[in-house]
Amino acid sequence: MGKVIVITSGKGGVGKTTTTANIGTALAMLDKKVVMVDTDIGLRNLDVVLGLENRIVYDIVDAVRGNCRLNQALIKDKRFGNMYLLPAAQTKDKTAVTEEQMVELCDKLKDEFDFVIIDCPAGIEHGFRNAIAGAEEAIVVTTPEVSAVRDADRIIGLLEAAEVRSPRLIINRIRTNMVQSGDMMSVDDILSILAVELLGIVPDDDAIIISTNRGEPTVMDDASQPGQAYRNIARRLCGEEVPLMTLTAKKNSFFSRLKSLFSGE
Amino acid sequence: MEQWPDRLTNLPTTMVNRTLRSGQSINSDGNVVVLGDVNPGAEVSAVGHIVVMGALRGVVHAGSTGNENATITALELVPTQLRIATHITRPPDGSNKDKSYRPETARIRDDEVIIEEYNPTK
Ligand SMILES: Nc1ncnc2c1ncn2[C@@H]1O[C@H](COP(=O)(O)OP(=O)(O)O)[C@@H](O)[C@H]1O
Ligand SMILES: [Mg+2]
Repeated sequence: MGKVIVITSGKGGVGKTTTTANIGTALAMLDKKVVMVDTDIGLRNLDVVLGLENRIVYDIVDAVRGNCRLNQALIKDKRFGNMYLLPAAQTKDKTAVTEEQMVELCDKLKDEFDFVIIDCPAGIEHGFRNAIAGAEEAIVVTTPEVSAVRDADRIIGLLEAAEVRSPRLIINRIRTNMVQSGDMMSVDDILSILAVELLGIVPDDDAIIISTNRGEPTVMDDASQPGQAYRNIARRLCGEEVPLMTLTAKKNSFFSRLKSLFSGE
Repeated sequence: MEQWPDRLTNLPTTMVNRTLRSGQSINSDGNVVVLGDVNPGAEVSAVGHIVVMGALRGVVHAGSTGNENATITALELVPTQLRIATHITRPPDGSNKDKSYRPETARIRDDEVIIEEYNPTK
């Protein structure tokens, strides 16, 4: 029986879809059987980030409404045979799926897969309710910005109220040089407010944008620093203990940046 | 002045045994004790006193029906806004960086909200 994990944030554009694609791919690289579910109906883009857009025939709405069999809607990845995508509908109404249908869908998927990773839309409305309905665990993504942390806090409150088990946190787009100069919230600043378990930190890196445009998750690139961060996160999800990455600032790293910023977890 | 005027301490007290997160609120006819933090975006309103056994970062209103003897006490008092009775205050702009790690109490004295170190014997 697999695990159903929702990736959520409240605020848009903080990296939910990027995180879903990279964690999903990294788990597949660890030989786990993975399905990623895009619940952002009307704003589908997980398929693009994964480079699978041109294979879509059926979508999540077709699958829950019985317009097709579930297996027909699942798109097998072109690189990994153990990785699948259930795409969002692009042209259908946002309310086309109900919470009950999501619970049923997740139950079916977790029979077949080790990990069911759900990419949640922004906001706290219908789409969010759907995305968390069938999930047992949640990963909250935030960036080191006051507004994103505020929304993450709101989301954690809602997850706790919905009894989704203790959410874990990913801090995305950290810029070490800005943290060091005091212009960006540090990991400790964020954790002192959110007070949840830290699952990982991901640096801000152009590699993400390049890989996103190519439809190749950055975890597939051995040399990528955010790729390494996401590979570590995937191993933590499998129960391994992996220490937090030491992020070093890109410029002037030789002289002044030797101190590790992220000593405490 | 007494720290805990009797008329207010005799009110019923609500214990909130979790952190109040953004978007969550508590409204009480008595006193409120929060065993956790009050995060930015969270609100507590009480007819009596408010005590936060953690960091107070949100908006709180003690003496919400106008009692000027109401107080606000927190282990870490770094609020977005404090209200006591009809008085509304906020930290001076640009001061949100300096943290206080000492318990402090806010109360009305001479028609102004003042913040002083928490002192149980006073
Ligand atoms: N660590 C990162 N470094 C650089 N760019 C990033 C990073 N994470 C996300 N992005 C970029 O931010 C944008 C929003 O990311 P996305 O995953 O689509 O967010 P969401 O799904 O939360 O709306 C994308 O253009 C993505 O490439
Ligand atoms: Mg998205």
